[in-house]
Amino acid sequence: MKETRRASVWAWLWFILGMLYFFIPLVATFEFSLRMLKGRYTFEAYRVAFTDPRFLQSFGYSLLWATLTIIFSMLLVVPTAYWVHLRLPKVRPWVEFVTLMPFVVPAVVLIFGLIRLYGHPPLVLTSTPILLIVGYTVLSLPYMFRSVDSGLRAIDVRTLTEAAQSLGAGWPTILGQVIFPNLRVGILSGVFLTFAIVMGEFTFAALLSWPAFGPYIEEIGSMRAYTPQAVSVLSFAVTWLSIGLIQWVGRGSGAQTQVAGTR
Amino acid sequence: MAYLQLAHLSKSFGGPAAVDDFDLAIEKAEFVSLLGPSGCGKTTTLRMVAGFEVPDQGRILLDGNDITEMPPNQRHLGMVFQAYALFPNMTVADNVGFGLKVAKRPKDQITKRVEEMLGLIKMPKLGDRYPYQLSGGQQQRVALARALAISPQVLLLDEPLSALDAKIRVELRVEIRRIQQELRITTLYVTHDQEEALSLSDRVVVMSAGHMEQVGSPSEIYNFPNTPFVASFVGTLNQLRCKVVDVGQGKLSYNDQVFETRAPVRGAQGDTVTVMLRPEQMHIGSLSDENQLTGKVEMVTFLGSIVRVRVGLGQATVVLDLLNKRSLELPRVGEPITVSFPPHACWVMAEA
Amino acid sequence: MGLEHPVRIDPYPAIAGDAPKARPPSSRKFSWAWIGVVPFFLFAILFLLLPAASIVVRSFEKLGGGVTLDNLRAVVTQRDFVNAYRVSLTISLITSLGGAVFGFLLAYAVCLGGLPRGLRSFLVTFSGVASNFAGVPLAFAFIATMGNAGLVTRIIEGLFNIDIHAHGFTIYNMYGLSIVYMYFQFPLMVLIMAPALDGLRREWREACENLGGTGFHYWRHVAFPILLPTLLGTMILLFGNAFGAYATAYAFSGSFINLVTIVIGAQIQGDVLYNPGLGNALALGMIIIMALCMVGYVAMQRRAARWVR
Repeated sequence: MKETRRASVWAWLWFILGMLYFFIPLVATFEFSLRMLKGRYTFEAYRVAFTDPRFLQSFGYSLLWATLTIIFSMLLVVPTAYWVHLRLPKVRPWVEFVTLMPFVVPAVVLIFGLIRLYGHPPLVLTSTPILLIVGYTVLSLPYMFRSVDSGLRAIDVRTLTEAAQSLGAGWPTILGQVIFPNLRVGILSGVFLTFAIVMGEFTFAALLSWPAFGPYIEEIGSMRAYTPQAVSVLSFAVTWLSIGLIQWVGRGSGAQTQVAGTR
Repeated sequence: MAYLQLAHLSKSFGGPAAVDDFDLAIEKAEFVSLLGPSGCGKTTTLRMVAGFEVPDQGRILLDGNDITEMPPNQRHLGMVFQAYALFPNMTVADNVGFGLKVAKRPKDQITKRVEEMLGLIKMPKLGDRYPYQLSGGQQQRVALARALAISPQVLLLDEPLSALDAKIRVELRVEIRRIQQELRITTLYVTHDQEEALSLSDRVVVMSAGHMEQVGSPSEIYNFPNTPFVASFVGTLNQLRCKVVDVGQGKLSYNDQVFETRAPVRGAQGDTVTVMLRPEQMHIGSLSDENQLTGKVEMVTFLGSIVRVRVGLGQATVVLDLLNKRSLELPRVGEPITVSFPPHACWVMAEA
Repeated sequence: MGLEHPVRIDPYPAIAGDAPKARPPSSRKFSWAWIGVVPFFLFAILFLLLPAASIVVRSFEKLGGGVTLDNLRAVVTQRDFVNAYRVSLTISLITSLGGAVFGFLLAYAVCLGGLPRGLRSFLVTFSGVASNFAGVPLAFAFIATMGNAGLVTRIIEGLFNIDIHAHGFTIYNMYGLSIVYMYFQFPLMVLIMAPALDGLRREWREACENLGGTGFHYWRHVAFPILLPTLLGTMILLFGNAFGAYATAYAFSGSFINLVTIVIGAQIQGDVLYNPGLGNALALGMIIIMALCMVGYVAMQRRAARWVR
């Protein structure tokens, strides 16, 4: 029995203003990216971007590190979330504190500390991408944890586990056939979000001097015009795709795992 | 002129009508319940009175004034919601005094009235608590006090007890009736629980699929239901398909067992009609001027104060309720049994 | 798609554990369960706590060794540093207030403003994307919009014959950067406020009307007080989000814009301050400010969760 409220003028006004602010830069960027050759609109900037060997190289590197980050992050987060939910609820405040820490220690500050600790002998980790992966993991930790956590909450892990046990299932069966299939949405959301984060990340890669996609974009931005905008459009498309995938994966569950929301 | 007149109200939400031609005159200080299953239109009717829904057709008159078009905040009615709807950011005292604050009453008047109300609901010391610190029953009492603080002309309650535990429900419903009678306030109460409706009301309106099935006092509704729906919705009911043996003498037969009814028989000789009979009207054994039916005991359920016996009569079964006695010997399953009931206890229902 | 402080935090989190332990702890199972969370905490200690601690400790370090408060003193007195903090704090304040107000109005418009239902999910999805579209690509997008050859610049010139850049408008200063930051600030506000607005129960409004109140009464006495902790908490979140931002500002003008994060970044890339202790002190300043934000935010969340059960 919903009342239909008449839409007020103000509501439309704010919405339209909001949409203008969102879309004008996108339109402008796209338009700009088409103006590489004077006088007409072409996709020349995109062609130049794609044929630059460093484009594919840096994109490939970022893809690799994204994958490594996702694996590492999942190995770290999923068991933790599961145990916290099932066995160690007292530990939860500590875990949540850890997921808030990346906010308190922003990227630049964290790098500062990491380099100081692990960039000098005897522990020179800076020659390997380990610190980069670490940085990415720290960035994505809050999301990963929250995604998986929401997923666990939504399926009431404890009751499912108890039901499975009462029917005679052992731990491998429970984990493999009851828990993980139901966590698919939460895990996938975390994966796609981490992917989006890593692909576009700049700060860690630049300050730790790794040839990732983010620094590459910045570099061509300082040297050229038009191609940076073309790459920006592509980057926006990839972000949209990732978020779209998250929505699509989570469509049946109703739980929004990647965005802030009421429980 | 009735105090609250609901004249031919109709409302639909784009589909079959949620409320269809609801017409009722409520007297001052009367307690009327709207009783029915989910979706029967009782809440929609209440919300139309409150002003949260606008009727498609019909008018609402309060003390002679037509309030159909009036916005809800001018109607001066008090509403108690199913989900309490206490303002979580305010204390109990602030909640109760809210209506008076909006009406810009002087502060000392508000304080006095709030105290009065808290006394009325028997929670005088809890004015400084917040809703989240109260139990469900306490919250609902505060909601009641809040609605009454503004001295409304009519009190509207939308399934106020559904969200509460069984024991609290019974306690609170007694409280509500006591307060209503003390204040002599006209009350419209919506519920799907027939025990609530029967125990609280001066009159009950049974509703189904948007229609009013029957209006009457609780005992009228229970003992003399007009329609099969009312008969089966209110209380437990036995229904037997019987053949008419003699219309004038009210003789009916089931499986060649003949019995009499005092109520008029609607049908001709030889017709098959449905006979209704309440479980508590039957008893075990036989008396000379009563009807008798014989059958076999199928199941005996001990419900505490009542013992419910299911008796098989050929293809049909009837349920009979016995009052528990300490010396009672329960019938055994499989035993043959004779049940009897006076002729006036059964009646032939008009086919719907 | 860079990320300036990607933060997704429930406005109404669980405060304590959800359920009691499934079974009484027996020693064998107990130790097994702890192993499950050890990697997580080990990671946190090694790569979050220790670096932060090292920063705190080393900010008291003197150039030749020894303990000193000079670094901290320099950070709060030297003009360059004070300016850097001033600019950072100003941008953070502007974008948190602006983002909060505009984001709230936008969320209100789609949730309670009576607009078609589909627009709400569109806005929420788009906000999810926009709040991730920060960093380098965002900077280039705005250069294409409001830079010298940007679309809006050209449109304004075409329509009104005004060259805004000749009139002193530039996107490469504090205010220009604020406009850019808004792009990921107010989507975050929308993402948090939309569910909070949905959490306003219909019955509260109806009860208020029933008791004689108007829309104004409802907002003043019921809705705003209930929403206030979430509003304030999110504003604090936005503040911290902007304060810690690096990539967007860097992509705009390299090291030439004077933000605390940029200064620290420059220090990382080459010891421009000639005194590592100073860099640490600057970083410590950031940590303190962010920690204060976090405390404020969590306090507001607890408030909000307490009332709305």
